[in-house]
Amino acid sequence: MLSLSNLKVDIEGSHILNGISLSVAAGELVCLVGRNGAGKTTTFRSIMGYRRAQSGSISFDGIDLAKLPTWQIAQRGIGFSPEESEVYADLTVAENIELSTWTRPSGRPAATRIEEAYTVFPKLRQYLARGGAQLSGGERKMVSIARALTLDPKLLLLDEPFEGLSPAIIPLIAEGVASIRAMGKGVLIAESNVHHIPDYVDRIYVLERGEVMFSGPLAEAYRDRAVMRVIAGQIDAVL
Amino acid sequence: MSHTSIGISTPATAQRTLPRPTGLWVLLGLLTIMALLPLVASPYALLLMLPFIAYGIALLGFNLLFGTTGLLSFGHALFLGVGAYAAAVLTSKLGVLSFELLLVTAALASGVIALAVGALCVRYTRIFFGMLTLAFGMLFHSFLFKFYGLTGGDQGMRVLRPLLLGMEWRGGKTAFLTGPFYYYALALFALLGLAMWRITQSPFGLHLRAIRENAGKAAYVGVEIFRMRLAAFVISAVYGGIGGVILAVTTGLADPELAYWTHSGNLVFMAVLGGSGSFAGPAVGALAFVVLQDFVMSITQYWRFVMGGTLVLLVVFLPQGLSGAIELFAVRRKERPPHAA
Repeated sequence: MLSLSNLKVDIEGSHILNGISLSVAAGELVCLVGRNGAGKTTTFRSIMGYRRAQSGSISFDGIDLAKLPTWQIAQRGIGFSPEESEVYADLTVAENIELSTWTRPSGRPAATRIEEAYTVFPKLRQYLARGGAQLSGGERKMVSIARALTLDPKLLLLDEPFEGLSPAIIPLIAEGVASIRAMGKGVLIAESNVHHIPDYVDRIYVLERGEVMFSGPLAEAYRDRAVMRVIAGQIDAVL
Repeated sequence: MSHTSIGISTPATAQRTLPRPTGLWVLLGLLTIMALLPLVASPYALLLMLPFIAYGIALLGFNLLFGTTGLLSFGHALFLGVGAYAAAVLTSKLGVLSFELLLVTAALASGVIALAVGALCVRYTRIFFGMLTLAFGMLFHSFLFKFYGLTGGDQGMRVLRPLLLGMEWRGGKTAFLTGPFYYYALALFALLGLAMWRITQSPFGLHLRAIRENAGKAAYVGVEIFRMRLAAFVISAVYGGIGGVILAVTTGLADPELAYWTHSGNLVFMAVLGGSGSFAGPAVGALAFVVLQDFVMSITQYWRFVMGGTLVLLVVFLPQGLSGAIELFAVRRKERPPHAA
């Protein structure tokens, strides 16, 4: 469904992505793991058309995304929840979530799509009328993911969905991600903490200095000392 | 807004349904009072209300661009000029007197011009958008001013008394303006107000608000920023054109000053005065502006000085405008009892 091939992206002269190749098939949960600055966010921003690649290709359902503007990429069915959540402060939670049903008509009624989002994050039902500025970090994250989901996308990009959240909230987000996957949508998650990776992940890509240094099942990564040094790093040097 | 987590769901839903219709109700309440005004007010006061209606309509459109979409135009008087000159050309050159035809023509002309001007302007935001709209406004003003043969230059063009719903009014000018025309314009204001309310509450309005807050965010939610901004620009121009027709019929003249940048500045003043953050705010601002200007002009020739001073005080002390101040006052009153107890 999504396939990046030898993607190279420079930002102000420095090479951020040095030829990344990865793919996500329909219904797959794939994780992009790497330390801060490894290029995860740049990968996502390139997919969404905020960064233009120096070379390489990004294709989605056989269409080259490289020249499309961001809104068209979204309308083709890629939902994006950025690291900072970027919930609209001026809109209520309900408005934030229903917005995407209007931008991408998908054949499924808006009410169904909105209902689906609230099924994934039931807690949001309590905050419908609240402004986006009055939410906690975890709530904003849920709204952001829910908003990406109401786009009715084929693929979701979740940038650090667990970053900076309280341990009480993390399971709620994790359950949400699990139920999104159960809907048969492709999910690509960027994650810097290997312990946040769901164990049912289909495949992980380990990113280091703009290159993919490992790709394969999570269990295999756990057995690879070099890989673990990068993704478990300082946290559990014991490994 | 500090709710405990237990009590959230019920008051929250109540809050959602309560404040929403207020903007529309304030506007319709204002128009109801206006409808009763001819029973008590002098013809002079009623004549003063006609520019208010014209500006009120234009500002409904202006605020879709400014308050809702976040684009501040300094050349919006261009469209009042287009409306006024459309009325002038039709009535005094082509002999078309049907007011409905004037409205449709002005709306179409404004819309078409806005499509061309907007296609360039809405690619930019903030000061760049403001300067570009200013430039187009002045360009149009120069055209009106210099093409004497076509536009009458600084003399302007006469706007003849139109037929309302195909009917001719034989009475005097004041009787026409304060009688049938007043009610006609008022009904139009109400109708266009309702339409604008629907627009701001529609998914399209939601898109515009998302763009205002952050266009970058709106893009990855799938919002087509350029087309939405352009649509807002065109709609606001159509409202401006209709306002221009009413203004021109009221004064009986279309002159280049209508498109001059100070006139655009007045529109911005009115929006700020009333408060661009609320639906009825700019209409309230238009009323306050028209009444204030008339009052100050009657007592001193330095009226511009007073108006300028008012704007300074407003921006410093009431950045939310009159409607914001009223809202703040209402909220404080509401909050007082629990504090006292």
